[in-house]
Amino acid sequence: MFLIKNKQLFEIKGIYFTAVVSLLAAIIFSLCFSASVGQADVPLKQTFNILINKITGGAFGSLENIPKAFVNIVWQVRIPRILFAVFIGTALAVSGAVMQAIVQNPLADPYILGISSGSSLGATFAILIGFGGGTIFSQFGLTFSAFLGAVLASLAVLLLSSVGGRMTSMKLVLSGSVISALFSSFSSIIVYFSNNAEGMKNVTFWAMGSLASSGWSKVPVLALVVSVVTVFFLFQHRILNTMLLGDEAATTLGIPLSKYRRFYMLLTSLLTGVVVAYSGMIGFIGLIIPHIVRGFIGSDHKRMLPMTALIGSLFLIWADVLSRIIVENVELPIGIITSIIGAPMFIYIIVKKGYNFGG
Amino acid sequence: MELNVQNLRVSINKKEIVKDVSLRVKNKQFVGIIGANGCGKSTMLKSIYKSLKPQGGSVFLDNIDLLNTPPKKVSQKMSVVGQFNEISFDLTVFQMVMLGRTPHKKLLDSDTEEDIDIVHRAIGQTNLTEYMDRSYLTLSGGEKQRVILARAIAQQPSFLVLDEPTNHLDIRYQLEVLHCVKNLDIGVLAALHDLQMAAEYCDYIYAMKKGKIIAHGKPNELFTEELVADLYDVKCKIYENPVSNNLSFVYQI
Repeated sequence: MFLIKNKQLFEIKGIYFTAVVSLLAAIIFSLCFSASVGQADVPLKQTFNILINKITGGAFGSLENIPKAFVNIVWQVRIPRILFAVFIGTALAVSGAVMQAIVQNPLADPYILGISSGSSLGATFAILIGFGGGTIFSQFGLTFSAFLGAVLASLAVLLLSSVGGRMTSMKLVLSGSVISALFSSFSSIIVYFSNNAEGMKNVTFWAMGSLASSGWSKVPVLALVVSVVTVFFLFQHRILNTMLLGDEAATTLGIPLSKYRRFYMLLTSLLTGVVVAYSGMIGFIGLIIPHIVRGFIGSDHKRMLPMTALIGSLFLIWADVLSRIIVENVELPIGIITSIIGAPMFIYIIVKKGYNFGG
Repeated sequence: MELNVQNLRVSINKKEIVKDVSLRVKNKQFVGIIGANGCGKSTMLKSIYKSLKPQGGSVFLDNIDLLNTPPKKVSQKMSVVGQFNEISFDLTVFQMVMLGRTPHKKLLDSDTEEDIDIVHRAIGQTNLTEYMDRSYLTLSGGEKQRVILARAIAQQPSFLVLDEPTNHLDIRYQLEVLHCVKNLDIGVLAALHDLQMAAEYCDYIYAMKKGKIIAHGKPNELFTEELVADLYDVKCKIYENPVSNNLSFVYQI
């Protein structure tokens, strides 16, 4: 009996491994494909050559016969943008999964603890009021301001939910709603009193989410933060699993949840804060990707989290492709695409029989 | 292992729920706590297994000071079957029981063959083998309770705390669970609501009312009609059951 069971486990492991490898391959293929399409179509073969050439520092692949413009479009414009999609997709999906575990609520997403309204306030402030020319803040501008707003909001939520003893998931969610409402109203005040139609349009665009601000200069910070935090969480699967059981059961399994909750929240805030600062509000990924993955392989974070990261980035690469080609010569904000694809997928999951928010 | 609780006091929102309780579970004894709903049984157990912080008193498991030892250390020695085990995410029975190995794992350890064997044995002991791959959320209340017991067994504890473990269970499973616990041959502290079962399975019983221990003793010596009347506010007749030779209880309002 035991032997049979262990063999089954082994087979499941095999399938899982194959799935991870296939997803990695799919991401690499999607990356090449995505770099080829857009307003100027570059042949896939040439894209591949450019990538190989640039990555190996010219040792392989030849740039002869490829127009210089193509090289620039692919390497200077599209690749940083696609890397943005890869890292941001990963970050949002992973922080969604972690956030759902932290508050033990399958409806949580990375923005539930007020990060969205916080960064909105930051962005609105930077766009409509600005920091003035002389201060050090003005050099960082929108990105820094949005990040600051996100961090402020999540700190406020942390503080509020710790008042009067132990921090519980219920308190976290409630504090998140309260702080969200407060920060949103601040943003509204700024918008209401500003007489700046162009600025208001910018604020709206920012809120829709976009990868248009990507560039090689911003990739390192994003890549570093996302990789470090994601890898950290991949190793936390045991604690994340006990989190699903709630405070009391976790304590009896030796895990004091309130301590880990606070720490994980700080990390997800950092992750989401950086992402939001660079790309605005890209919705639905953090909510839906963890659910899709749970639907397939269950809630065990050891398997679920790596899969979530991979599918998150794959999803955003393709959402980005769509945002560039769906309407000719117009680039739709990617947040619109993720919601348009995400909402029906979510409805399907809810309607599908047997899905119990977990598998 | 021996559990020693001294002068435990617990307040919730400034209301004292547990008032100066002392009790002792000797090596490998099965000790029961009885008392009406709201008498403070669960609160007392919660502070023993570190889910609540008591205002005063001490709890020692052999020479481990439970109140001042990190949860991880405690959970390697003591496991708990609590009252409410609802979750919003689903895990399979196997995964749920595997979580019982958490206290013995370092951050980067993976599950070994040995862990898998321990989990299989725990699942077998609680008669859940055919449920192994079922998802926890689809189980009935009684089955869930047995999964939690299996998880507690997989922790390989030397002491077990049970808070009304036979709630939701039908008769056969009530007997099975208590039998299974008794067979573990470790120290057990259990809040029980069925007096007949308490009389049958416990080596020693503490009776609790309004946060205080009002009587304790071996089942045969402890149970009197006056005590049961006082504890639960009912009329009670106790007699020796001619079939099982155990104590039986008849209640009337």
